[in-house]
Amino acid sequence: MSSRRSSRGSAAISEEEINELISKLQSLLPSARGRRGGSGSQAASTTKLLKETCSYIKSLHREVDDLSDRLSDLMAGMDHNSPGAEIIRSLLR
Amino acid sequence: MARCGGDVSRHRKADLETVESLCQGLLDDVMLDDDKCRAMFGYLQEWPDLASMCHSASLLGEPPLAPEASNGSGSSGGGGGFRKRRPDSCLEAKGKSNSVCKRPRGKQQPCDPDQMAAVVGKGKTERARAGAKKKAELALPKDSPATSESTVTAGQKTDYIHVRARRGQATDSHSLAERVRRERISERMRYLQELVPGCNKVTGKAGMLDEIINYVQSLQKQVEFLSMKIAASNPVVNFNIVEDLFSRQLSQAACNPAALAAMAPPIGQAEPSCLQMSPLQQMQTPAGCPGFGLEMIVNNNLFSLAHGGSMSAAAAASVPAGASVESCLNVHGAAGWDIGSQSLFSGFDAPFQSVQSDSLLDNLKMEM
Repeated sequence: MSSRRSSRGSAAISEEEINELISKLQSLLPSARGRRGGSGSQAASTTKLLKETCSYIKSLHREVDDLSDRLSDLMAGMDHNSPGAEIIRSLLR
Repeated sequence: MARCGGDVSRHRKADLETVESLCQGLLDDVMLDDDKCRAMFGYLQEWPDLASMCHSASLLGEPPLAPEASNGSGSSGGGGGFRKRRPDSCLEAKGKSNSVCKRPRGKQQPCDPDQMAAVVGKGKTERARAGAKKKAELALPKDSPATSESTVTAGQKTDYIHVRARRGQATDSHSLAERVRRERISERMRYLQELVPGCNKVTGKAGMLDEIINYVQSLQKQVEFLSMKIAASNPVVNFNIVEDLFSRQLSQAACNPAALAAMAPPIGQAEPSCLQMSPLQQMQTPAGCPGFGLEMIVNNNLFSLAHGGSMSAAAAASVPAGASVESCLNVHGAAGWDIGSQSLFSGFDAPFQSVQSDSLLDNLKMEM
């Protein structure tokens, strides 16, 4: 893995690709959703972007946990023999 | 970066001042986690002892520990914060000359886990070690391997980010700031790496970014999927809303299973009305599992609706509720379920066609 940055000249991964990935990531983030058709979205500083990605992933984690809890509660409350419950259970497996 | 073989020691003080000012500005940008923030700022205050200590030793295996011990009175956050920056700079110093690297790295290993664990608050020593190593590698993209000394930080600095200007390294403010920024970025990348599972296999920025992007996308899909399921299986229904939505949807879509699927979630809850269309649209494009899941959800919806109807009727025993259920199902019984029968509801036609009688609730109960 260290060979990737062995020498400055031979950048195995070009800067452009990285920037492209970064912009793609930015587009995924909820903060970018509000952008209107303006083509040039400001290049957010990479550090800020990464930080935002961190917090976004954490919030997604929390949300998934929360939803899972709710779903399991629902499952507990539902009639266990109903086909709907069966479906949910099979999906969750 | 340009390698000016200047006399670094001479530039030291000047560098430090510029670094200081730079770092002040940069510090404002630092949006680390809470614990890291506390650690960082605490560290900065406790710097002087440390600086003198590490200044003396070129390789800072032990010195970091000593002031720590003496700093026992200091807040653990401060000590931890100090520790936090420590490994970075130490690693940079180490990374410079490969020959020297091994030893300090070995020395550093024992302290790294503690330090990182203390700061980050996680007990993942493995990650810390790997991260530390990686940081050393990442941190020197353009450094001359020949540089041996780590300079910087004469005495003073009560408020800096400990940036080491390497010998032979360009010591102007730009490259220093650049390096600080790079450090931050790699630090964040490391943190992301521990957040995203499976990121350990791939190192290197682009690969990791790719992994992270995939992970975020899959998480988003998962969240949508789960919320759809909850919406679908939750029999809390506001039937007025359902009616309105149904009428609208039915008028719009003839035999469009998509529209029919769009009808399904409104059945579930009033609240996901905002997310009816968008998650559906997004979920329909991937024709694989999510589509399948959607179908299941829709099927489930019908059951839950009927289920909910019977439940609410039985439990509440309120005539208006029952009447609305009847009317709702009657109105949509023919149209909705016919549409359904063509595509998704092949198995479920029979129960619902029989729903249209006045003994609706009894039928429902029988179906259940």
